[in-house]
Amino acid sequence: MNNESGLAQVKSIYENRDARARELSKEKKIIGYLCHFAPPEIISAAGMIPYRITGQLGDDIVEANRYVEPYGCPYVRNCFEQGLKGRHDFLEGRVIPHSCDMVQRIYGLWKYYNNPNFSYLFNVPHQVVPWSLDFFERELTFFKESLEKHSGQKISEEQIISAIQLSNDNRRLIKELYELRKTQPPKLSGVEMLQILLAQSCTPPEEFNVLLKKIKEEAAARETVKKELPRVLVWGCIIDDIKFLEIIEQTGAHVVSDDLCIGTRTALAQIDTSEGVMRGLTNTYFRDFRCPRTDHGPSRERFSYVLDLIREYNVQGVIGYALTFCDPHKLDYPDLRDYLNDHGIPMLLINDDYTLGNVEAVKNRVQAFLEMLE
Amino acid sequence: MGYVAGLDSGSTSTKLVVMQDEKIDRYYVVPTGGNSLRSAQKVLELWFEEADKTEHDLQCLVATGYGRENIKLAIKTVSEISCHAKGVHWLFPDCRVIIDIGGQDFKVIKLDKEGRVLNFAMNDKCAAGTGRYLELMANIFQMDLDAFGLAAFSAGGSVEITSVCTVFAESEVINHVSRGTAENEIVAGIFNAVARRVYSLAKQHIADAKEIVFTGGVAKNQGMIEALARITGCEVKVGFNPQITGALGAAIFSHHINGGQ
Repeated sequence: MNNESGLAQVKSIYENRDARARELSKEKKIIGYLCHFAPPEIISAAGMIPYRITGQLGDDIVEANRYVEPYGCPYVRNCFEQGLKGRHDFLEGRVIPHSCDMVQRIYGLWKYYNNPNFSYLFNVPHQVVPWSLDFFERELTFFKESLEKHSGQKISEEQIISAIQLSNDNRRLIKELYELRKTQPPKLSGVEMLQILLAQSCTPPEEFNVLLKKIKEEAAARETVKKELPRVLVWGCIIDDIKFLEIIEQTGAHVVSDDLCIGTRTALAQIDTSEGVMRGLTNTYFRDFRCPRTDHGPSRERFSYVLDLIREYNVQGVIGYALTFCDPHKLDYPDLRDYLNDHGIPMLLINDDYTLGNVEAVKNRVQAFLEMLE
Repeated sequence: MGYVAGLDSGSTSTKLVVMQDEKIDRYYVVPTGGNSLRSAQKVLELWFEEADKTEHDLQCLVATGYGRENIKLAIKTVSEISCHAKGVHWLFPDCRVIIDIGGQDFKVIKLDKEGRVLNFAMNDKCAAGTGRYLELMANIFQMDLDAFGLAAFSAGGSVEITSVCTVFAESEVINHVSRGTAENEIVAGIFNAVARRVYSLAKQHIADAKEIVFTGGVAKNQGMIEALARITGCEVKVGFNPQITGALGAAIFSHHINGGQ
């Protein structure tokens, strides 16, 4: 079937991310999701296929401007534009979390104008306290029940456990791929890793499991030429296009790790169901999920996990990616920057309106920053 | 030792500095005019002609600025931030803060005692605070930039320009002109507006520093030097040619690559 290398297959999936989902939508229901709160495992357990909704970096926002004001998250507006252009027409419906104001608003707009078959607003608290954990657990049950109502079939705990085992397996393989980035130079570039993660988000987990095993073999066997490029960690908002990492790597660095929702914030977790299935999901998808939209208190020590990543991957500098108007990330940035600086790690923040239109301006800053690391 | 050079391919002007034995041989500034390749070629030809040399006499060339990737003769490209730091450090070894205001952007660079970049900030998205803003304003008064630079000194006061945006600020200035406000007071207000805009980005990097080195084309503007000094509360130093600092830094990098100390 496929003599192509695993990485070549991943690249194809990345470049045409709705192809497999469209194929499958003829026989199965595809549920689109944004962010990382409503567990894809529950969607899988319902016999449906989870599909992460993404934008199209650099696309002109034309239609969406009639529905959503321009001074709001450019990413969400772009995703909405994709919907208006019919790029989500293979979806049975969407589950949209209350991650932040803009994401939550889009739920309403989509439901009103699109009138999809299935629509669910997933409520998410903003602080991690005992009652908010209980709340999230209840919300998981409500979400499960709404899928049951839609499909007419009950979802058993065994089915959820089975889905979790599969996704845990995939994340274990992803972790092994991340381990390959600890060498100098890393055996997988930041661009390749991102393509893998994005390809994973639009491929049925059992199919992707096979591909991951193939990639692991190939990558581990790679011979690399010793290159003394600075090692960088990328922090920030959703990055669903390789352009930003390409700019960094082409300017002369190795992106060896990240603090991104598509990356380490969720990709390496092992869901532990020993305290209960819903509690396990709550811990991974809410308690331990480090998007700044969840308040983790005022202490700068809340970023110690970033320092851990820096030490683990032998990182010399951090490059941040903040979308215009993203308050959660931008308001966390000064504390993170100062915390890292206190520990001898410089940080550069790049602001983007989800176009990366002025590549020269980005290259200029990145090059100056990388020269500082020399 | 032979000749080494630094070429700063900027969006408004292209600069070349040629050095020999770590001394400046010659330097040139030409307008880029929307074609970085052509102006780079031009600036090199100016040296070839004046010094009676060819490209074979150039042992090493480092390029910087927005057009740096297009300069085929360059052995290496270095960011303009590192180059400005290097160039200013060579001219003013005690400098720890640089404010560079060019045609289309402005930057602040913090250096250590070795001239290495510690931190930097840039504005290249918005015309407010750049040379472009001043050009536009000088045009309202039909003044050339040299005259414009001196026009605020005789003023007894200054107007407040409340809009940050260049386009709206221009309207405000035109309003003042039509109301008959003293020209020199309007110009003083314009320089204050630019200095304040730059200071808001620079403040954090200036911190406790008592001196700033001011570079970029706008540093030729006497009124801006005074406004910047007043608004930052620092002593402002300007080199013999504030436009060539980037190219000078690139030339020094070139010198080091070529084996010089």
